[in-house]
Amino acid sequence: MGSNIIFEVLINEIRLTIPELVDHPIARNDAMADLGVNSMERGEILIATLEAINLEIPMTQLHGPSNLGELADLIHAKSTQQ
Amino acid sequence: MALATLANWPTSFMPNQHNSKAPLAVTGIGAACGAGFGKTALKEALFGTKNLFSFLERPGRQSDKQDTPFIGIELPESPPTILPARIERTVGLSGRVAVSVLHEAWHEANLDGVDPKRIGLIVGGSGLNSREQALAATAYSKRPAFIPPRYGHVFLDTEVGSICTSAFPIRGFYNTVGAASASGLVATLQAMQAVQSGQVDVCIALGALQDLSLFDLQGMRAMGAMGSARFKDAPQKASRPMSQDHDGFIYGEACAALVIERLDSSRAHYGILAGGAQVVDGNRGPEPNSKSQQKAAHMALQKAGLQVEDIDYVNGHATGTPLGDKTELETYKELGLEKAWVNTTKSILGHGLSAAGAIELAAVLLQMREGQLHPCNNLNPALDTSLKWVGPAPQPHKIQNALKFSFGFGGINTALALKAPSSEEQHDA
Repeated sequence: MGSNIIFEVLINEIRLTIPELVDHPIARNDAMADLGVNSMERGEILIATLEAINLEIPMTQLHGPSNLGELADLIHAKSTQQ
Repeated sequence: MALATLANWPTSFMPNQHNSKAPLAVTGIGAACGAGFGKTALKEALFGTKNLFSFLERPGRQSDKQDTPFIGIELPESPPTILPARIERTVGLSGRVAVSVLHEAWHEANLDGVDPKRIGLIVGGSGLNSREQALAATAYSKRPAFIPPRYGHVFLDTEVGSICTSAFPIRGFYNTVGAASASGLVATLQAMQAVQSGQVDVCIALGALQDLSLFDLQGMRAMGAMGSARFKDAPQKASRPMSQDHDGFIYGEACAALVIERLDSSRAHYGILAGGAQVVDGNRGPEPNSKSQQKAAHMALQKAGLQVEDIDYVNGHATGTPLGDKTELETYKELGLEKAWVNTTKSILGHGLSAAGAIELAAVLLQMREGQLHPCNNLNPALDTSLKWVGPAPQPHKIQNALKFSFGFGGINTALALKAPSSEEQHDA
């Protein structure tokens, strides 16, 4: 599963969590905070994404990325380490 | 007489923004019950003939065994959508119903113009979301790594109040009081105190929906509090408060909010909350205590400046448990309430537990405004025929002074005396 597929999963989970963003374009260089996603919602989106790709890693390992593209790359890297 | 100093100056004399001794009035009511959302549905339930009792069908209230489902009442529809979609999807039933009920009460009382810092909210109820908690615990039992983070806070009973204050400009204070089946009335008593003390100008008391799980239902049946399934072929007959054929209470989902503020003769109101009291009898369990019930009534009447003989309508706790009904009848008779009309709201709406005191207080105020008393279902054969029971049809009666009781497991006894609006203050619904 490549980074782009993970990015699509992230977008899907963002839109499920925040139906208000369903028609809002979301790009790899967008950050969730800039889209108005609050910290609890970011946690919900991350966990739902990990569940969708069946990857069990501590949330603390996902700190650091500054946008969705970097986040997708990081999750992809973690998934290939498992 | 000692000179008043800052140290001994009674706090009730301290000036506040509304330095008024005006009585406390209810200026807005929101309600949800088995007949649907809104006061119109509640009035239809109270004065109409439609039976609301059926079998509990929500997920999380079904047994795997081939048991007869529990008899009870569930809201017939989902709450109207008021919250933004991103919030709505994460809020449980009790919270969504609370927002809907608060919305109705808020707009009736026209609170949009009130300084948010002068508005308070007291939510009555504890263990409010146990059905959804049980469903979530089962759903995630084999995948705990993927539990949505909100489950770290939504199990707290602050959930309902926090959702309400995130949706409405309430910035004075909010808290949640647990007083078992008296929660709705205790929330009202505390809201009254918050206005009387000057802490806020407006305080909303909200009896939250008690979203019972199967385990809660089974536990209450095991303790002998919840009625049996013997009326499974006629669920409309199962809720029988004050009848010889009672064998426990029947659950009914409900929620109600009451807006409480100082009487302002230029504003419509339903009635006056004239005096209330709570008496603790030091009992951990469910056993009722007539002496404490009587004491609560005497204290409430004294605060209201009323005598027992002034009371012309009693809305009791009257759940349908054999010991509870017997004890409460003793209270009515010891107090000398034989001349007052009595009916049993739980014979129509079931027992809302945390919501009961609030939805029944709403019922008292609606009856006051309508000039009639709702019927008393399933009473006959009555446990006691010396009281002035309302029959199976609505009874025309203009309530002047009412007494409302709510009792809770854990030795909680509350009473509230109400007065009708004076004639020049009455407004049409």
